[in-house]
Amino acid sequence: MSKATTTSEAVLTRRSIRSFSDKPVPLDLIKQVMDTARWTPSGCNFQPWEGAILTGEPLRQLQEKMRNTPPQNPQEYSWSDPEVLPECKARLSQVGADMYAAMSIERADKAARGDFMAQNLVSFGAPAVLMVYFPRVMGPPQWSDVGMWLQTIMLLFREQGLDTCPQEFLSLYAKLIKEFVGVSDETHIFFCGIAIGYRDETDPVNGFDRKREPLESKIQFLGFE
Amino acid sequence: MNVFEAVATRRTVRAFLDKPVDQAILRRVLERAQNAPSGGNTQPWNATVITGEPLAKLLADVAAILPEGPARHKPEYAIYPPELDGAYAERRKGVGEAMYAALEIPRENKMGRLAWFARNFQAFGAPVLMLIHTPRYMGRPQWSDIGMWLQTVCLLLREEGLDSCPQEAWAIYQEQIRAVVNIPEDHIFFCGMGVGWRDPDAPVNNFPVPRAPLDEVIRWEGF
Repeated sequence: MSKATTTSEAVLTRRSIRSFSDKPVPLDLIKQVMDTARWTPSGCNFQPWEGAILTGEPLRQLQEKMRNTPPQNPQEYSWSDPEVLPECKARLSQVGADMYAAMSIERADKAARGDFMAQNLVSFGAPAVLMVYFPRVMGPPQWSDVGMWLQTIMLLFREQGLDTCPQEFLSLYAKLIKEFVGVSDETHIFFCGIAIGYRDETDPVNGFDRKREPLESKIQFLGFE
Repeated sequence: MNVFEAVATRRTVRAFLDKPVDQAILRRVLERAQNAPSGGNTQPWNATVITGEPLAKLLADVAAILPEGPARHKPEYAIYPPELDGAYAERRKGVGEAMYAALEIPRENKMGRLAWFARNFQAFGAPVLMLIHTPRYMGRPQWSDIGMWLQTVCLLLREEGLDSCPQEAWAIYQEQIRAVVNIPEDHIFFCGMGVGWRDPDAPVNNFPVPRAPLDEVIRWEGF
């Protein structure tokens, strides 16, 4: 997809990409993005984020290890908290239903759905992956800081004509990933992967309509004329 | 404005011009920011955006109890992790000292520094204050989602020529905030964010903000 020339365009054209072309991503381009993303704000300027970026042979090796390892138990952290409320569960099911419909995979076809979920292990064919972790002492506000940094990175990639897919799924292999990149499991929590690459524009999984709540349900304005 | 410019020119602005912000701009920004990603498409962010009368009331209410000090502080979460190693303490100190140097308020001038900190509760003169909250059951990954949305808002504001000041400090006065705006009881109050037009001449908006070098943060494998 073409480069986003404005911030709005980057925000509006960014979507989670689940099918990448095999075109490699130049290192200097990634460095440029990561260097600029250092200017993300954080409470007390803690800059709590840390990460490893993998490509080529090391990425292939790690993916092979993940394929041969069961998901860790207990989980690194829970991502299912919001599912306790029906409103959130409905949004999750909706995005799943829309995605599988785009790929013409039936609800009953568990095998095809399983195969697609397994694509998470190879980051949907992305040539580079950012593995995100940080000290365990960081609390909810620092998780928000990390989120600010991740979105900065994703928008900067859009500006370069690249795309991303944030993958909390990879936390199922948190310990394995930390061991592979040489980060202490004792001191650091693994959060997610960010797949990085060029979007396959012909794949319908990258084209379904993503639903968002109407603004009125999220934002209240008070005191305006 | 492109993303690079928005990221590079965004800074936490602590002096705003006395000039209102058109609600239409805020609506445009927030509509676009709805496209921020979230795990499972949860979209956990919520905000109340205030200006004019309700903002003036909140600032007055908080000003009235400021002299009572920490006894009135009732944050619903820990703003700072209880234990941090030296590198983080250094980063925190670094930005604080850079700011006070720009303001010419030396360390010995404790009253001066306290008075400056109190300006948080004038939203540094911002004409608009966003009050950000989320259902209490949201876990840490959803806080990250809120961060992705917040930074989207900050960058889109930059594109409109506007600036922002994310203020976790407001968390200590969530009771006073709840008395003025209707935040559901089952939501936790996270932070305020001042929004307005940057005073380009204020020294506090012009000091260099330090950041860790890239190699302190990122490892590279296979390139």
